[in-house]
Amino acid sequence: MLSLVGSRSIRWFRTVLPVKYSVVTGGHTYVTQPTEEAIGRHLNSRQPYAGSLFACRIHAGSFRSYCTAHTKLSCWKCQQTFEERPVFFCPRCKVVQPPDESASHFQILDSTHSFTLDTQKLQKRYLQLQRSLHPDNFSQCTKEEQQHSEDQSALLNRAYRTLLKPLTRGLYMLELEGMPLEEGTDPGADPGLLMELMELNEAVEEAVTPEEATRIGQDTKVRLKELTAQIDTALHRGEHEAAKALLIQMKYFANVEEKVKEQLSKLM
Amino acid sequence: MAGVLAKKCITPLVLLHRRLSVPEFIAQCCYHEKVVDHYENPRNVGSLDKKSKNVGTGLVGAPACGDVMKLQIEVDDQGKIVDAKFKTFGCGSAIASSSLVTEWVKGKSLADASMIKNTDIAKELSLPPVKLHCSMLAEDAIKAALADYRLKQQAIQQVAVEAIN
Repeated sequence: MLSLVGSRSIRWFRTVLPVKYSVVTGGHTYVTQPTEEAIGRHLNSRQPYAGSLFACRIHAGSFRSYCTAHTKLSCWKCQQTFEERPVFFCPRCKVVQPPDESASHFQILDSTHSFTLDTQKLQKRYLQLQRSLHPDNFSQCTKEEQQHSEDQSALLNRAYRTLLKPLTRGLYMLELEGMPLEEGTDPGADPGLLMELMELNEAVEEAVTPEEATRIGQDTKVRLKELTAQIDTALHRGEHEAAKALLIQMKYFANVEEKVKEQLSKLM
Repeated sequence: MAGVLAKKCITPLVLLHRRLSVPEFIAQCCYHEKVVDHYENPRNVGSLDKKSKNVGTGLVGAPACGDVMKLQIEVDDQGKIVDAKFKTFGCGSAIASSSLVTEWVKGKSLADASMIKNTDIAKELSLPPVKLHCSMLAEDAIKAALADYRLKQQAIQQVAVEAIN
C-alpha cells in the first residue's frame, strides 16, 4: 500500500498532518514529526480512505498512538517541556494544559492498570482533579484556558465513568489491548447461554410482583459478581480471549439487570 | 431588568419541560417512522413450539450491545414459510428489524428467505449507520432459523433412511 500511495503522498501527509495534529490534541506542540514508517502503517490501516483528504483529516487523530511514544510534550504557553505525564498544569507557568490524549484513563486518574481497583481511591482522585480542573475555576481566564479546562474536565468525566464499573473498565482494558468488541452477531456464542438469557429476559418481563423481579435481580447480581472474579483471573493471567468472552457474558447479564430495574420501576 | 432576569431563568425550564412532556416527538425526530411503528406495534411477537419438526429456531446475540434475538419459522410440506414469530430483548432498531423480517419471510420459500440481506432491512427502516448492526442481527437470526430447520429435516431424513435399511 505504501508503494502504491508513493512518497509524494507521504510528503503531502507531512505537510497536512502537523497542522491538524495540533488541533486534534488541543494545542500541544510536538517536537518530532511522524516517521515515514508510522505514516505507512497509518495508510495501511486506513487503506480504503488513504487517498482522500477528507478521510485523512478525520483519521489524523488515530495517528497519535503511533507517534507520541517518542515525542515530548511542551507547555502551549511557555514552551517548557514536560518530563512526566499526564500534565494538567505547567510546572513552570502554572497554566492549565490541554488533555494528553495519549494517556490512558488509568494514567489520568493515577490508578493501577488492573481490573480490580480501589474505586474509593478512584473517586477521591477524580474529585480532587475535577476540583482543580473544572471550568468554573476558569471563568476569569483566557478563552484558551477555558477551552482546555473544559476538555480536561470532560475527559476526566469520561475516564471516571469508564473505570468505575467493572464492565466498562474491562471493555476499556480490552480496547487498550487492541481487541474491542465487534459489532454485529457473535458467531461463537453458546446457544445454551443465549437460551438462558432469553428465558431470563422473559421471566423479568413476565414478573408481576416486585418480589419476583427483585429475586431475579439478586440472582443476576450474584452472576455478575462471579463473572467479575473470573474476568479478574483471566486478565491477571493475560488470557485476553477468555476475558473477552466473559465480558460479553457480563454485558448480557448487565442488560438483564437494567431490565430488572425498569420492570421494578413499572411495578412499584 | 427584572423581566430580563425572569426570562433568563425561565427559558431553560420551559425548554426542559417541553423535552419531558413530548418525548414522542423527540423519538420521531431520531428514528424513521417505520422503526417507531414496528417498535410500538411489533408484528408476530411470540414463540412457536421449538420441538416441532416443522419449526426452525434462530437464536442470536450481539455482544457489543448485549441484545438477544429469537426468530422462529414454521415451514409447510411444500417448503413454504407459513408462520414466523420473534422475541427480541434489545433496542428499538433491533426490535423493528426482527419484526420486519418476520413480516417479510411469511409466504416465502426457504431459498427466498435466505436471500434477505441486512442492507435491505436497513434501507427499509432507514437505519442510521450506528444502528446497522441491528439489521445484521436480524439477518443472522433468520439465517440461523433456516439452518436449524434444515438440520432438523436432515435428521428426520436420516432416521427415515435408517428405518428403510
